[in-house]
Amino acid sequence: MHKFATSLRRLNDARDEFRRRCFSQLAQRQAFIEESGGIPLIPAFNYSPPPYTGPTAEEIFRKRKEFLSPSMFCFYKKPLNVVHGKMQYLFDENGRRFLDGFGGIATVNCGHCHPDVVQAIINQTTTLQHSTILYLNHSITDFAAALAAKMPGDLKVVFFTNSGTEANELAMMIARLYTGCQDIISLRNAYHGNAAGTMGATAQSNWKFNVVQTGVHHALNPDPYRGVFGSDGEKYAKDVEDLIQFGTSGHVAGFIFEAIQGVGGIVELAPNYLPSVYNSIKKAGGLVIADEVQSGFARTGTNFWGFQNQGIVPDIVTMAKGIGNGIPLGAVVTTPEIAKVLTRRSYFNTFGGNPVCTAAGHAVLKVIEKEKLQENAHVVGSYMKERLTALKDKHEIIGDVRGRGLILGVELVTDRKLKTPAKTEILETMEMMKDLGVLVGKGGFHGNVFRITPPLCFTKEDADFLVDAMDYSMSKL
Amino acid sequence: MGLQRNLLNRKTLNNVVKTIWVSDKSNPSSLRRFSSLQQPELPPFDYQPVPYKGPLADQVFEKRKKYLGPSLFHYYQKPLNIVEGKMQYLFDENGRRYLDAFAGIVTVSCGHCHPEILSAIEEQNKLLQHATTIYLHHAIGDFAEGLAAKMPGNLKIVYFVNSGTEANELAMLMARLYSGNLGMIALRNAYHGGSAGTIGLTALNTWKYPIPQGEIHHVVNPNPYRGVFGSDASRYAQDVQDHIDHGTSGRVAGFISETIQGVGGAVELAPGYLKPVYEMVRKAGGVCIADEVQTGFGRTGSHYWGFQTQDVIPDIVTMAKGIGNGLPLGAVVTTPEIAQVMAQKIQFNTFGGNPVCSAGGLAVLRVLDKENRQKHCSDVGSHLIGRLKDLQQKFDLIGDVRGRGLMVGIELVTDRKEKTPAKAETAVLFEKLRELGVLVGKGGLHGNVFRIKPPMCFNKDDADFLVDALDYSMSKL
Repeated sequence: MHKFATSLRRLNDARDEFRRRCFSQLAQRQAFIEESGGIPLIPAFNYSPPPYTGPTAEEIFRKRKEFLSPSMFCFYKKPLNVVHGKMQYLFDENGRRFLDGFGGIATVNCGHCHPDVVQAIINQTTTLQHSTILYLNHSITDFAAALAAKMPGDLKVVFFTNSGTEANELAMMIARLYTGCQDIISLRNAYHGNAAGTMGATAQSNWKFNVVQTGVHHALNPDPYRGVFGSDGEKYAKDVEDLIQFGTSGHVAGFIFEAIQGVGGIVELAPNYLPSVYNSIKKAGGLVIADEVQSGFARTGTNFWGFQNQGIVPDIVTMAKGIGNGIPLGAVVTTPEIAKVLTRRSYFNTFGGNPVCTAAGHAVLKVIEKEKLQENAHVVGSYMKERLTALKDKHEIIGDVRGRGLILGVELVTDRKLKTPAKTEILETMEMMKDLGVLVGKGGFHGNVFRITPPLCFTKEDADFLVDAMDYSMSKL
Repeated sequence: MGLQRNLLNRKTLNNVVKTIWVSDKSNPSSLRRFSSLQQPELPPFDYQPVPYKGPLADQVFEKRKKYLGPSLFHYYQKPLNIVEGKMQYLFDENGRRYLDAFAGIVTVSCGHCHPEILSAIEEQNKLLQHATTIYLHHAIGDFAEGLAAKMPGNLKIVYFVNSGTEANELAMLMARLYSGNLGMIALRNAYHGGSAGTIGLTALNTWKYPIPQGEIHHVVNPNPYRGVFGSDASRYAQDVQDHIDHGTSGRVAGFISETIQGVGGAVELAPGYLKPVYEMVRKAGGVCIADEVQTGFGRTGSHYWGFQTQDVIPDIVTMAKGIGNGLPLGAVVTTPEIAQVMAQKIQFNTFGGNPVCSAGGLAVLRVLDKENRQKHCSDVGSHLIGRLKDLQQKFDLIGDVRGRGLMVGIELVTDRKEKTPAKAETAVLFEKLRELGVLVGKGGLHGNVFRIKPPMCFNKDDADFLVDALDYSMSKL
C-alpha cells in the first residue's frame, strides 16, 4: 500500500510539474493560433512517407462494396484511405499526415510501425512463422513469463488466442466449467465480443443479433454520467446482488466487466463499485473476469491494468488489441488452480501463441517499459483531460469529459440537463477535425461520444493540437 | 506393373534402401517389394539453418509447464524444440533437419518462410500493420477479390476473421439468422473449433467440454472405412433426413461438414454424400456450410476446394489454416443474399482483414497459382498414396490408406477384420519416425491415424523418404 502511494505521488508530482510548464506554453500556443487565422496546425514531424502508388480511395471503396460485407461501415462522409503509419501519425494516399487519436481502436499502443516491434516481427517471421504448440518454441514461453510478471496475485497461467472475442469466449467457458454454473453477469453497455457466448455478454442492441444468447444477466451500468445513482458505486452493486438472488440459483459462474467501457463510450465504472460486486460474486461462488482488451497495457497511465485502478484482483484477465501493437493476438491469464479445469478435455488453438505474434507481444512489453509509456500516458493523458475539461466550460455541447490516461471520452449533448445525445453534431465535428488533420473515434450507445485512445507515444503537442482542433471545429458548429 | 514403375522412377540417390522383389505364393503374378533393413536418409537440401543460441528444450518445457497451463499438450515423449523452418523442412535446436509432413497442422501451405510470402509480409509491416476497416486500405479488397475469383456460383462476399473457430462461429450465426431456425446438423467425428459455440458442432469427445451447446444434431459419419454403410452414400444421407424429421421441428438452420475430416483422421466422406444431403437441408430451410479449413487451396489436388470433389456448391465456405501460410487469418465466403441478413446489426472484427494478413493471404494465392501447387499436390499425392498402398500390402498393421492430393491418412489396426485401433503401435511408430527425421501428425478418435499433410512444396523425393521411413520403422516393430 505504501509503495503504491509513493509511486502515485511521484507520478502526480511529475504530472503537476509538466502541467505548470504546459500551461505557460499553452498561452504562447494560443497566441500563435490567433496569429495564424485561428486554424490549429499539426505538430512538426521529421519524416516523409514513401510515395503511394496503389489504388485510390474510390477504387477501394468500390471493391469493398462488391466483395466485402454489406454491413461494413466506414468513418467519414468521404472515407479515408490510410496507407501508412508512423508512431502516432497516419498518412493517406496523398501523403497527407493525420494525428491518430484513435490508435486503430486502442490497439496501436507503441506507435505505428514502431521500429523495435517491426524488427522483432521480421526477425521471427524470417525464422519460423508457425509450427503450433505441438512442438516447443521459446518465443511463447518467454512472452508468457513476461506477461505473468506484470500480473498481481496468483495470475500466472497464460492461454493465447487470436482476438479479444476468442479470449473472452475462453474466459467464459473456463468460469462455467470451474464453477459448474452457467449464469454470467455482465454490465449493460458492455462490449465483449461477437461470437455466440460473447455476444450474450455484450450488452448494446446494435451489436446483438437475433439469435439465442443464453446464460447471461445484464446488470445496471454503474455509469457516473448517465446512471440513475450517479457515482454511488455501492448502490449500483446492489443490482448485481439482486440479479443473483432472484435471477439465478444463487450460485453463478462469474462476472465480466471492462474497467473503462470502450465501445460503450469510455465509461469508467463508478468508484467503490467493483469491490462490492467482487464480494457478491465470491459469495455466490463465481469468478471475476476483467476484460482488459482496451484498458490494459499501460493505457490508463496510473496502472498497467485497468482493474488495478479499481482496487480488486480478478480471477481471470482477458486481453487483446494493444497486446501486440496491432498483430492479431489475444490472451487469457488466470491462476494455476483455475487453469486445471481445461485438463478435463483438450483445448487447442492452432494459431494461438505462434512464434511471430508472441515475439511481437514480447517486444511490445519491452517498448512500454523502455520508453516509459505508462508514465507518458498518465502525464499527457491528464494534461489532455484537463484541457478538455476546460473546453467543456467553453462549449455547451460538451456534456461530459471522462476517462484516464490515454483512454478518454468526450460526450456531446444538445441539452446538458436532459443529456440529449448530440448525434448529428458529433458527426459534423468529427468531419471537421479530420479536415484539420485529427482522427478520433466514436462510441457510446447513441454514438455521441468521442473516443480518444491514441498510441501511447502521443505527446503534449499532439494533445494541444487535438484539443485545439476540437475547439475550432465546435466553434464552427 | 505399378510397383516396378515406382522403383524405376525413383531418382533419389541418397536413399539407400535396397529392394528385393519376391513373388507372392498365393498370387504369382503380383510382386511384393521387400526392403532390407537400411536406414533411409533425408533428401538433400541446399540450406544451412542459422546457429541457434536460444533456450534449450528442457528449459522451454519447464517454462511451458509453469506459465502455459497443465492442459497444454505436446507431441513426443521428449518434446521437440523447433526453432527454424524452410519450405518443407524444420530445424531443431541442434540444427538437425526434419521433413515436415504435418505443416503445423495443414497450415504452412506454401512452405516455411517462403520468400515471396516473407517479402509481402515484410513490405506491409513496414508500411502499416493495423488501422481497422473504419478506414480504407487496398489490401483487404484486393485479397477478397482474389478469394472470390476462386469461388464457384454466387459465393463472393468475404468476411475476414482471425481463425477457423471464428470463421465457423460466424457461419453458424449467418445460418441461424438467414434461416430463422435454430438447429444445426454436423457429422460425428467432425472438428469445427474450440470455442463454446463451435464445440457444439465439433463431434469428438476429446475436444468437447461439458457445457451447453445449443441445438446441434450429430448424424452418422459417412466413413467408408469404419462406417456401418461402407461407401453407400445414400444410406448415410438418409440419417440426415431422419434427424430432420424426428429431432427438429422439420426446419433447420444449416448443415456443416469438412470434405476430408482432419482431426477426425483424414476421413474422406463417402462419394456422392453431400449432394443428397444438401438437397434435404435446403428443403428444410437450412443453408449448407463447407468447412475448408484443412482441405482448401488446392491441397486435394483434384480440385481447389474440397467441396468440389463432391460436386456441390455450398452457401457458405469457411477457411483458415493454409490461407495465410501460418498468419493468424480466417475467412467466411458467402452469397450477397446471405450477407444481406448480417446487415441488420453491426458485426465487426478488430484484427480481421488487417493489411499485413491480407497482403500475406494474397501472396499465398499468387504463389499457389504460380507454382502450380494444386497439380503438384495431385501428382505427388498420387505417388505417395500409391506407395503407401503398396506398403499396406506388406504390413497387416495398415488398415486403411485414404485421402487425396496432399491430405492423406494411414489408419493402423491390430486386426484388419475387427479394425481394432493400434494405439500403442501408432505411438511407437510416431516416435520412430521422428528419430528418422520425419514429423507426421496424428488423428482419429483413437489416435491411431497418421495424418500426412505437408507444405505443398513437398516433392516425390520427400514422399519416398517418408514411405521408406515408415517401412523401416514398421519392420522394426
